[in-house]
Amino acid sequence: MNLDRIWQMSYDSKTIDILRNSALGIPVIQSLHLIGITLLLGSMVALNLRLLGIGLTEINLPSLFRQAFRWGTAGLLIAVVSGFLVFLPDPARYAANHSFQFKMIMLPLAALLQYTLFRRVIVKHVGADVNRRFVLMPVLSLTLWFSVGWAGRAIAFLG
Amino acid sequence: MLLEFFHYLQSTQLAIGLRQSDYAFPLIEGSHIMALSLSVGLILLFDLRLLRLAFQGDPVSRIMHQVMKWALPGFLVMFVTGLILFFAQAETVAKNRYFQVKMLLLVLLGINALVYQLKFYPRMADWDTGSAIPTGARVIAAVSLMFWIAVIACGRIMAYEL
Repeated sequence: MNLDRIWQMSYDSKTIDILRNSALGIPVIQSLHLIGITLLLGSMVALNLRLLGIGLTEINLPSLFRQAFRWGTAGLLIAVVSGFLVFLPDPARYAANHSFQFKMIMLPLAALLQYTLFRRVIVKHVGADVNRRFVLMPVLSLTLWFSVGWAGRAIAFLG
Repeated sequence: MLLEFFHYLQSTQLAIGLRQSDYAFPLIEGSHIMALSLSVGLILLFDLRLLRLAFQGDPVSRIMHQVMKWALPGFLVMFVTGLILFFAQAETVAKNRYFQVKMLLLVLLGINALVYQLKFYPRMADWDTGSAIPTGARVIAAVSLMFWIAVIACGRIMAYEL
């Protein structure tokens, strides 16, 4: 079974049809999407400001690392689940949208790097030299996450 | 009277130009939304600390000061970009019920924060590191958490009615 058939099945399903035709359904889910994004980007901003050594420097890194990943992950899950619910009622429109396509490349890339490489580098330094500053990793992390955010915004404006 | 003024604002050349611009309006709106992470995102982390859901090992005052240093400039960006967005479609937005609720919630959030500053902030040292956070302070944090989430929802939903 290929992906197109899954989208088609969900498109035809009763649940998605109700969602598609309700006046407040998509706006409310878009709100959840934005709340998830706020939690995710807020956590990533906090962590990366700390790593850059320009903000939240008096909070110890192990604590900030734990909280940023915990709440950031919660935000990411909210954003992904709500994102699917925005996508499913109208998959063809989104699939053809260049900003959406770009977003779907940047999102897995940002998540992959954050949860593997970045996470490992931070863990390695937690407990050792917690006050060591980084430049490349936090800049890259913020660039990736905010490019996902801007691409999401561009879906409506640029197409 | 106020609506007439908003009508005037909305019909100025600058407002019309802003509304019809290909890039200025989306960029200002995008900045308004991206700054959410800095303002509301960081404020939520402080609320979670007061509710003992995050940073349990760090003193409340430290989290507050560290977070507010960045949340306040973030809020300034929100405020300025929000003001420009309002100016571009003042009358339409002012009549929007979700916008009206959003403004009401923001006023209540301001009062909420003021109560914290006056009633709980001066004596934070008494319970800063302990786990017994005053009930009132926790209520304020819960209100802040819920109202900010509602502000985001109202802001997002109102765009569907413009």
